[in-house]
Amino acid sequence: MPLVGSEKIRVKHGLSIALWFAAALASTGCPESHNGKTLIERSVVRIVNHSQRGDWHAPWAPQAPTYSGGSGFVIEGGRVMTNAHVVSDARMILLYLHDDPTPHEARVKWIGHDCDLALVEPVESGLLDHLPALEFGDLPEMGSTVETFGYPAGGQRISSTRGVVSRIEKAVYAHTGADSHLTVQTDAAINPGNSGGPVIQDGRVAGVAFQASAELENVGYFIPTEVIDHFLKDVSDGTYDGYPDLGVQVVNLENPAARRDSKLGPEESGVRVEFVYPKSSADGFIREGDVLLAIDGHPIANDGSIELDGLRVGHEQLLDRRQAGEQVPLDVLRDGEHLHISVPMQVYLPFNAYRRRYDELPRYYVYAGLVFVPLNTELIATYGDSVPEHLLYELYFRPIEEPQAVRRESVVLLRRLDHEVNGYMAWYRDLVVDRVNGHPIESLEELIDAIESNKDPYQVFEFAYYGRIGVLDRAAADAANAEILRIYGVPEDRNL
Amino acid sequence: MRSVRTHRRALQRAACFIAAVLLAGSSVARSNDKDQDYRDKDKGYKDKIVALRVTQQFFDEALPWRKKSPEVVEGTAVVISKRLLLTQANLVQSATFIQVEKLGRADWIPARLVHQDSAINLALLTVDQPGFFDDLEPAQIAANVATRGPVHSVRWKDRQLEVSNSRPGRIEVLESPYGSVHHAFLRLSTDFSSGGHAEPVFAGDELIGLTVMQDGQMATVIPAEILKAYAESPAREGDTDRYRGFASIGSLRWQTNTDPALVAYLGLEGEPRGAFIRQVPWGSTGCSSLRPRDILLALDGHEIDAIGNYEHPLYGQLRFDQIVVEGHSPGDVIPARVFRDRQLLDVEIELRTSPSSARLIPWRRSDSDPPYLVAGGFVFRELDGRYLSIWGTDWRTQAPNQLVYFNDLLGIAQSPEHRRIILVTQVLPSEYNIGYHGVADLPVKSINGYPIDSIADVEQAFGQPKDGLQRILFYPNSTINEVVLDASTLEAATAAILADYEVPERLRLPEGALPDLGPPCPEGTTSRSVLSD
Repeated sequence: MPLVGSEKIRVKHGLSIALWFAAALASTGCPESHNGKTLIERSVVRIVNHSQRGDWHAPWAPQAPTYSGGSGFVIEGGRVMTNAHVVSDARMILLYLHDDPTPHEARVKWIGHDCDLALVEPVESGLLDHLPALEFGDLPEMGSTVETFGYPAGGQRISSTRGVVSRIEKAVYAHTGADSHLTVQTDAAINPGNSGGPVIQDGRVAGVAFQASAELENVGYFIPTEVIDHFLKDVSDGTYDGYPDLGVQVVNLENPAARRDSKLGPEESGVRVEFVYPKSSADGFIREGDVLLAIDGHPIANDGSIELDGLRVGHEQLLDRRQAGEQVPLDVLRDGEHLHISVPMQVYLPFNAYRRRYDELPRYYVYAGLVFVPLNTELIATYGDSVPEHLLYELYFRPIEEPQAVRRESVVLLRRLDHEVNGYMAWYRDLVVDRVNGHPIESLEELIDAIESNKDPYQVFEFAYYGRIGVLDRAAADAANAEILRIYGVPEDRNL
Repeated sequence: MRSVRTHRRALQRAACFIAAVLLAGSSVARSNDKDQDYRDKDKGYKDKIVALRVTQQFFDEALPWRKKSPEVVEGTAVVISKRLLLTQANLVQSATFIQVEKLGRADWIPARLVHQDSAINLALLTVDQPGFFDDLEPAQIAANVATRGPVHSVRWKDRQLEVSNSRPGRIEVLESPYGSVHHAFLRLSTDFSSGGHAEPVFAGDELIGLTVMQDGQMATVIPAEILKAYAESPAREGDTDRYRGFASIGSLRWQTNTDPALVAYLGLEGEPRGAFIRQVPWGSTGCSSLRPRDILLALDGHEIDAIGNYEHPLYGQLRFDQIVVEGHSPGDVIPARVFRDRQLLDVEIELRTSPSSARLIPWRRSDSDPPYLVAGGFVFRELDGRYLSIWGTDWRTQAPNQLVYFNDLLGIAQSPEHRRIILVTQVLPSEYNIGYHGVADLPVKSINGYPIDSIADVEQAFGQPKDGLQRILFYPNSTINEVVLDASTLEAATAAILADYEVPERLRLPEGALPDLGPPCPEGTTSRSVLSD
C-alpha cells in the first residue's frame, strides 16, 4: 500500500544513487561453476533505452531525449525481463546480446511500474531462440550467497559480483516512490546499469537487481521471485492490472489499555483499523474500530506482524500476494463479535496521485496563457525543496482529514504565459482552483467545460485557500488564445 | 643709533608679526571652534543615551519545564525623562537581569523593566539607584521624521560614544520585525555595523527614531511618532490596565486591486482602486464591518489607490495600514467607504490591536512561560512560533508538515471554538505508554470526548475518563489517530515518569487570559478550516 501523509513526505523522490564509477569486476572463475556461469552469461542482455520524459513544469512539450543503460535476462517465451525503470518513457530500446555486436531493437510488451518490472520483446521474432531461458528459484535464505550479472556503468562487457543476503524486508520501491513490496538486501555490488539483471543462486534466478541504498554502503537490493511471480501471473490474462490495495490505515495494539478497549481476549492479538479510504476495497466491508485478528488464517500480532514461511513479516505481505479481483479472507473483531469477512481486492486508483508517472505526457490545459494541471506527485517534484504548503496539504493531508470533501482531481493554476490579457494575474501561480464561473471543479475536464461553456462576459476563477479570485475578460481571453499558443510554442492547448 | 629705515622695518616686522599673531590667533580660535564643535556634538548625545546589557534566559521549547543557558545581549537605551529609559522590547524579553552603563564610565548599574509592549517592540526601563538620572539629560522626541540637516545614529561601544552619519531613506509600512503592528518605518543607511539593538537616531538634538533591525548597512527604525505615543502613554507609569497599545491592520488579509477585469466583474465603475479584502479574521481591525470581497475605497477620509496606498501629508505614498496607527488608539471608531455587492457603502470600523496572542498559533509568546502538562508520559503544550523555531530558521522545510500547514493555512485566525492548538510533542517512554513511544508532534482534537483548546482543557479532560480508559484523539494524520490508556494507573505512572525524567512540575497553566477578541465577525474568516467538525 502506498505511503501517504507524513511518512510520504519524508521519502525522497530521488532514485537509487548514480555513482558512475567503473565497477566491472572480473568473475572469480571458480572452476566448477565455470560452465554454469557461462550459461547464465549468455542469457543476460545489455539494454540501452533512448527515452524522452514529460515535463511537468512545462507540460506541453517533453524534455530532451536522453539515454540510459541497464540489464535484462532471457526468460521463456522469447522475452527479456528487466526493471520498469530501465525501459520507461522509451522511444527506442536496443538489446545487446552476449558476444553479439549488433544492437537489436525491442519493444515493451508488459510494464508494471508499481513493482518496477517489465518484459521486453525483440522486434525480430525468434531472435532469442538460441539463448537459454533462465528459470526462477525460491526466496534465498539469510546469509546465503548470491551472484549478480549485468552491465554496470562504464563497461561493455558483462560483469558479475557476489555477496550474501543480508536482509529480507518490505521496502519502498523507488521507481514510483509510493509502493512497498518485499525486497532482498545484499552486499553484492549493485550499481546503475546492473538494474534489471538477474541475481542468481544455484543456477536459478533468485531476483532482479533494481536499486541501491543512497545512505548505506555496500547495500543493494533485488526484487524477489515472489514479486516477479505476481507480475507474471498478472500479465498472463493479457492486461497488467497492478497491485490491489485493501485501503485501510491500522494502528498497533501494543498497549494493554488499547487491547482492553478493543475487547480483545487475553490470548488474542491484532491491529485496529483507524481509517478506511472511501471507495477502496475495504469500504463497505471493514469499519473503523474493527480489529484485524488474522489474514488468511495467519494470526496478526499486536505490532501488525505475522509469521510467514518461517519469517516474521508485516501482515501486508499477505495482501501483497493477492491479484486484483481475488478475495482475501480476514478474521475481524467488531464490538466484541468475531466475524469472518472476505474482501474482494481491487486496485485503488486514487493512490496513483502519489506515484511517479511514466510512459505518459502530463495532462494540461492552457487558456488565455493560464496553464492548468492536475495536482500529483510529479507536479510536487518540480518544486524541489520549496513546495507551496497548501499544495502539500491538498494532496497529502486533505484526503485523510476531509475524505468526503476531497476533490477527485485537484486542478492547479500552475503558471502564466505572459500576455496583456492575463497581465493582472501576475502573482497568481501554484493555486488550487476551487470554482470556475461558480462551478466547483473536481477534474481538469470540468475546468475546461466550465471555461468553454461560459457565455458571461467574464471568466471568474476562485481559488481555494487565501480567498483569491482572478477574472479575465472572456472576449479578450478567447481572442488571445491562439496567439498566445503560437508565441510560446505550445503546439496544443490541451493534453487529456 | 638705529636708522629710521630700520625702525620702520622693525615696525613693519612688528606689524607683520602682530598681524600674523592675530591671524594665527583667529585660526587657532577657529580650530578650537572645530574642536569645540566636536566635543559639543559628542556631549550633545553623551548624556542622552546609555549602554544596555541584558541577561536573557529562554525556555527549552522541547522540554518546557527547563530553561536553556542564559545569554547576554547588549544594546542601547535612550533617556526620555528623569526617570525613564526607552529601548526595544525584544532586547529585554525573558530578562533575568538588566544593567545600564552611562557616560562611558565602567560601572554597570542594575535597571528594571517598567513596561513592555512586544507588539510595537518598545519597552521602558528605570534605574532605582538614587541620583542616577542627575547627570543625564532627557532627549526630546521630534514630532516626526521629516527632517533636513544631519542625522546621526548613536551608541556606546566599549565605553566610547560612536556617532554615525546616517542618511534617511524611504519611509514604508512594514510589519514590525519583532512585533506584530503594521506601521511606517524609516529606512536609514548607516555606517554602523551590526546595529539593530535600539540605537537611537537623532536629527540635530531631537530623537527621530530607534533602530530595531539592521541588514548590512540598511537600518530599520521605529519613527518618532510611535516613540512619542508610547512614551506619553500609561506605559510610563507601568500601568498595564490603562495602557491600550497600538491599533493595527494586523491579520486582515487583502490584495492589490489593479485588474480592470476584476473591478468590472465586481461592478465598480471607473479606474481600479481600493484594496481588495480577502480574509477578515476574528479580532482583526475591520472584523466588525468588513467582509471578504469588499473593496476598501477610503479609510478615515483617505482615499486608497489600487495598490493599497494613500497620500500621507508628510511622507507621501504609504500603505493604508498607517492610517489606523497614526493619531489613533485601539477602540477608536473611524469611517470607511467600501464597495460591496455592487454598491457603495459607508461603514464604521473599530480599531483593534493585533497582538501575536490573537493568532491561533502565536508567533511570539510575549514573555510568558510556555504552558504545558505531562500526563502518563505524554507531553502536551501549545503550538506556537517558539516551538516551530526548534527546527531552526529552515523550519518550513524541516518541521513536521502538519505543523507547518497548521501555522500557514490556519494560524492567522482563532474562532470562539478554537483559540489554541495543543500538541503532544513527545512521549516520555515507560511501561505505561508502551505502543505509543513514537508519538510526536501531533495536534490534539479531544480527550475523552472533551474538545481540547487549552492546557486547562487537557487537565480537565483527564479528570473525566470513561469506562476506565483515557482516550486522546488527534486531528487526522497518517501516524495514529487515537491513543488509549489505562485510567486507574495514570496518576501513579505520571508520578514515576516525572521522577525518572526529572521533570520538576507536572503542570504549568498559561499566565493571564486569552486576549478579548470581541464579538465574532459577521461573516467570513479563514477560507477553510480543518478544525470545523
